[in-house]
Amino acid sequence: MVSEDKLREEVKKLLQEGKIKYFIGYENGGPGWLARPAFIQQPEAVSRLIWSPGCVHNLTRFLQDEKRRRAREKNPDLRPVGLIVKGCDSRAINVLLQEKYIERKDVYLIGVSCELLGVVDEAKITRRLYPAKPLQVRFGAKETILVLTDQGEREIAASEVLADRCLECPANFPLVADIVLGEKINRPNPQPYQSIASFEAKSLEERWAFWQEQFSRCLRCYACRSVCPMCYCDECVADSIVYAVSADTTAEEKAQKVKWVERNPEPQENIFYHLVRAIHLAGRCVDCGECERVCPVGLPLRLLNKKLEKEAKALFGYEVGLDANSPPLISCFRDNDPQDFIR
Amino acid sequence: MKVFFPKKEAFGWTLTEAAADGAIPSDYSYAVVPPKKLIFPQEEIFFEFQQTADEGLQLRETLPELPPQVIVGVRPCDGRAVAALDQVFSGSFEDPYYWRRRRATILVGLACNTPPSNNCFCSSLEGSPSSEEGLDVLLTDLGDRYYVRGLTEKGKELIRAQSSLFSDPTEEEKKLRNKISQEGAQKIKRHLEAARELPPKLKTMFDSPFWEEAALSCIRCGICTYLCPTCHCFDINDETRALAPLKGRRVRTWDTCQFPDFTMHSSGHNPRPNKAARLRQRLLHKFLYFVELYDRFQCVGCGRCLDLCPVGIDIIEVLSKARNHGA
Repeated sequence: MVSEDKLREEVKKLLQEGKIKYFIGYENGGPGWLARPAFIQQPEAVSRLIWSPGCVHNLTRFLQDEKRRRAREKNPDLRPVGLIVKGCDSRAINVLLQEKYIERKDVYLIGVSCELLGVVDEAKITRRLYPAKPLQVRFGAKETILVLTDQGEREIAASEVLADRCLECPANFPLVADIVLGEKINRPNPQPYQSIASFEAKSLEERWAFWQEQFSRCLRCYACRSVCPMCYCDECVADSIVYAVSADTTAEEKAQKVKWVERNPEPQENIFYHLVRAIHLAGRCVDCGECERVCPVGLPLRLLNKKLEKEAKALFGYEVGLDANSPPLISCFRDNDPQDFIR
Repeated sequence: MKVFFPKKEAFGWTLTEAAADGAIPSDYSYAVVPPKKLIFPQEEIFFEFQQTADEGLQLRETLPELPPQVIVGVRPCDGRAVAALDQVFSGSFEDPYYWRRRRATILVGLACNTPPSNNCFCSSLEGSPSSEEGLDVLLTDLGDRYYVRGLTEKGKELIRAQSSLFSDPTEEEKKLRNKISQEGAQKIKRHLEAARELPPKLKTMFDSPFWEEAALSCIRCGICTYLCPTCHCFDINDETRALAPLKGRRVRTWDTCQFPDFTMHSSGHNPRPNKAARLRQRLLHKFLYFVELYDRFQCVGCGRCLDLCPVGIDIIEVLSKARNHGA
C-alpha cells in the first residue's frame, strides 16, 4: 500500500532542504471528483497531497512548462522539479530522457506502485453508480475501489471501473524513480493489446468508415495534444502560424510557409491532424491514455496509439519507455532492419 | 424545417437532427457542444474565389441558406448565452452570416428541474434555471406533460401551428410550474458570491502575479472556450485549393485565446505570451471587458468549463480567490 503520510513526509523534507524547486503531485478538490494536479511550493502545503485511484493525470506533461520557463528566465532556478510518477508516467520519463528533452538531474521522481490496482475510468464509475453521483474515490482492500457518493459509500471490484489502459498495463511499477512507494507486484497476465483485438478483426472498409465517422466529430480543441507529454514540439504542423520566426524571417518566407492542415474542422483536416499525431507518437506513446480521457467528444484515440505500439513491437521488437539509454525507435537504424528498402 | 433534439452518446449528450417524436429523456443534462454551434458554426464559408486568365478574379458570395431550424432542449443558460452572442454580432456591424442562421432558428428551452451539472451556477450570474432570455419557447417538465410558454412571436407561431396539441394551463398547473421553478433554483449547489464586485476588482489585477499561480496546471487546450456557450472568438483564413487557376475560399473558424497562436503578430511577437496571460484573457473577457461593453457577464454559469477541464481548473474558485486577492 502506498502511504500518503510517507509521501507528504518525503516531499516536505525535499522542500525544506531546498533539494527541489517545487513538487507536482495530486490533490482532491476542484470541480470534479477525480484528483487534480497540485503544485506544491511551500513545505506546509504538503498536506494537500494525496494518492488515490483518481490520480489519473500524467504529470510529466508539466515538464514542458518548466522547460519553457527556464528558457524564458534570465537566471533560472535549475534545481530539479519533484513529481509523482506511476508506472506509465515513468515510461514517459524514460522516453523524454531518450530523446534528451530532459536530463535525469532535472527531475526528482517519487514513484508510486499501482500494485494490483491503477486509476479509474471516470465514465465507467459514473455509469456504474448512476443515479448516485460520485464525490471521491479511495483504494479499498483486496482489489476494490471505494467510492464516496451522494448516497453513501460503495465498494466496487477494481476490474469493473479501472481505466482500460490499467487493465492492459504491462508495467504497473515505476521503472525510473528516486524513491518508490508501494510494493512491486506484477499484474498477472496483462493483455496489452486486448482493446484493439476486435477492431483489428474488422475489414479495411469498416475501419475506414469507423474513423471517418469518429473524426467528423473532432472539434480540434487540441486537448489530446495539449495533455500529451510527448507533444512538446515548439512548432506543430497543425498550427497555422506557430513556426520559428526570427528578425530575419522575410515576409515572403512567412507567406510561403506551407499550411499543412487548414483550421476548418472538416473530416479530411481532422483526419490529417490525428494521423500526423499518431505517426509522430509511434514508438513514443507510453499509453498513459490521457488523450482519450480528456477528449470532450469521446474519440477513441488509444486505439490508434495502441495499434502503432503493437506495430513497433512486431516489426522492431521495440517496447516504449523501458530503457532510457536505448536509442529512440524513430531516430535509429539497424543493419538488420527487417525491411530491405531502407538497407 | 429541421429539428435538433437531445441524443445520448457514450461521451454525453448532443443536439442531433432528429424527428422530435417524444419527450426529452429524463436523464438529459446538457449538450456537451452547446447550441451556439448551430448558429455560430465552427466553420463558416464567407465566399469562394477563383482567378482565370479570361475572366480575372471572381468572388462568389456564400451566405448561408437554410430552412428554419428548431433546437429542442436548450437549457436556459444556453438561451442566455445566445442572447449575449446576439449583442456581439449586432451593433455597428450586423454580421449577416450569424443573423441568417439566427433568424432561421427557434430555440425551444427546457427549464432545469434539477441542475444538469454539479457545477451549475447560473443563479450567481443573473440567470436562473427557468430563465426565458434568448429563448422562443420555454418548456417546464411537469412529469407527465410540459408547461409551455411561447415567449416570442416565432415561438408563439410554433405553438399556434400545432394548437391541437396544447390546452390552456389550469391554476393548479401554473402553481406546480412555479413550485418546480423555485425548487430548481434551490437545488443549485455552486455559488459565485457577489459577482458584480468582480469587474472593478479584476480591473486592478492585470499585472498581478495571481494569474501565474492560477494557471499552473492549465494545459492550454481549447476545451473551456470551444465548449463555452458564449465564447465567440474567430479566425479568418483564405484556403487555397488550387494555384493555377487560383481557386479557394475564405473561411471563418472558431479560435480561442487559449491557443499559442491566438493574436500572434506576424513578427512572431505575441502580446499574450504564456498560459497565465491566456487564462487572464479568458476571465477578464468574461467578467470585465464584456461587462464594460454590454453591462452583462459573458458567462452564464452553465458549468461546462468546470465539468470538462482536463486538470480541474474551477472558474468559481479562481474568481473567488481573485476577489479576495491582496485583501
